[in-house]
Amino acid sequence: MNVTGVSSRLHRLANSVSDKIVDHIPAFTPSSKKVLNTVKWIGNRVSSPQNRLILGVTALMSQPFIDLYNTNVDERTREVSAARTVAKIIAGTATGFTIRYMTIAAIDKFEKFFKPTIFVQNMKQYKMALGSILALWVMVGTNFLIDAPLTQYLTNKFINKIDQNHASKAAKTKEVSNG
Amino acid sequence: MANFLTPMWNAVARAYGGDKPGKMLIHTGIIGWAMSSIAQIAAIVLNDKIPKEQKMFMVPQEAADAAANILSFYLITRTFTSVASKLVSRGKWLPEAVKNFLLKDTKIADKIGKSGFDVEASGLLSGNLLDDYKDFRRGIDVTSTLIGTVISCNIVTPVLRNLYASHKQKDSIKRYNEYNKKLKQNIHIDYYKRPTMADFQSGSSLKI
Repeated sequence: MNVTGVSSRLHRLANSVSDKIVDHIPAFTPSSKKVLNTVKWIGNRVSSPQNRLILGVTALMSQPFIDLYNTNVDERTREVSAARTVAKIIAGTATGFTIRYMTIAAIDKFEKFFKPTIFVQNMKQYKMALGSILALWVMVGTNFLIDAPLTQYLTNKFINKIDQNHASKAAKTKEVSNG
Repeated sequence: MANFLTPMWNAVARAYGGDKPGKMLIHTGIIGWAMSSIAQIAAIVLNDKIPKEQKMFMVPQEAADAAANILSFYLITRTFTSVASKLVSRGKWLPEAVKNFLLKDTKIADKIGKSGFDVEASGLLSGNLLDDYKDFRRGIDVTSTLIGTVISCNIVTPVLRNLYASHKQKDSIKRYNEYNKKLKQNIHIDYYKRPTMADFQSGSSLKI
């Protein structure tokens, strides 16, 4: 079977799985203006910068705990990997959000230069998409120049803080045991 | 104002200028993952401090990690977006005003929410109702993509990555210990095999 055959089989399989899921989900017909306006606001306002920000905030609430409760490795490895995860999330979210936001703002400012010559159904979505794509190119450079060194710097800071906490705890325990 | 990059702007407009922002979020997410993985691989390749033998292990490991991340991101997020899109386009999830309007048509009332029905393709909506439907569809599209992204990137991928990394760590420690054990044995054998002055003084033809 060729690649096209495999891909079309996978597509059919995914389609039938999603059909089955759709059949089991109950109907939802919101009438409240508040709910409908919130859904509308999300559709119009949330794009890749906000997506990156939400992803970063929720990552901070989940990923360090997944690392800290990973019983397959020793305690030191858990602490170091959680510290690196937090550093990576902070560095990645800060640069990812800022660059995406700035490229979309730049497209808004230099609209004439970025204007396509074909009919666009939703100009706002086009600008957000183009901004996100251009941001990816900018991030090729910033991954090396900002993300990696910032992650390293923050990881070292967090590890130092963890070590200081351990040292002060050990000193207190010693004090207690000495009376 | 047309310029030398206009064909690129047109290509982006054709692909993402519609009313389905979720598709763009998934595609840029995948490209972002891929670029970040390429950066990680390049950092390994360009790092002089890592020996060549380790690079030969680390580069495919990083590539496999990236492939697993991208695949889980795509499968989970795409499933969420696809399910949400079907729920809205079939009319199972609709603003009440839109659903009530569609239910008035006795020809399609029993088809709403079922496979094969498409709210927009039915051509019954127009004006404010069509706008309300499109706003709702766009919002659900983005929300479902966001939920899928959060679940795949912040829960599934870290758990899988930790399982894989801890397995690799155990494997590496085991190999390291075996290597050390063999190394010690070799030194031990070499030490006793090494000729000493006693070898030449007793049982040897060489007499000093």
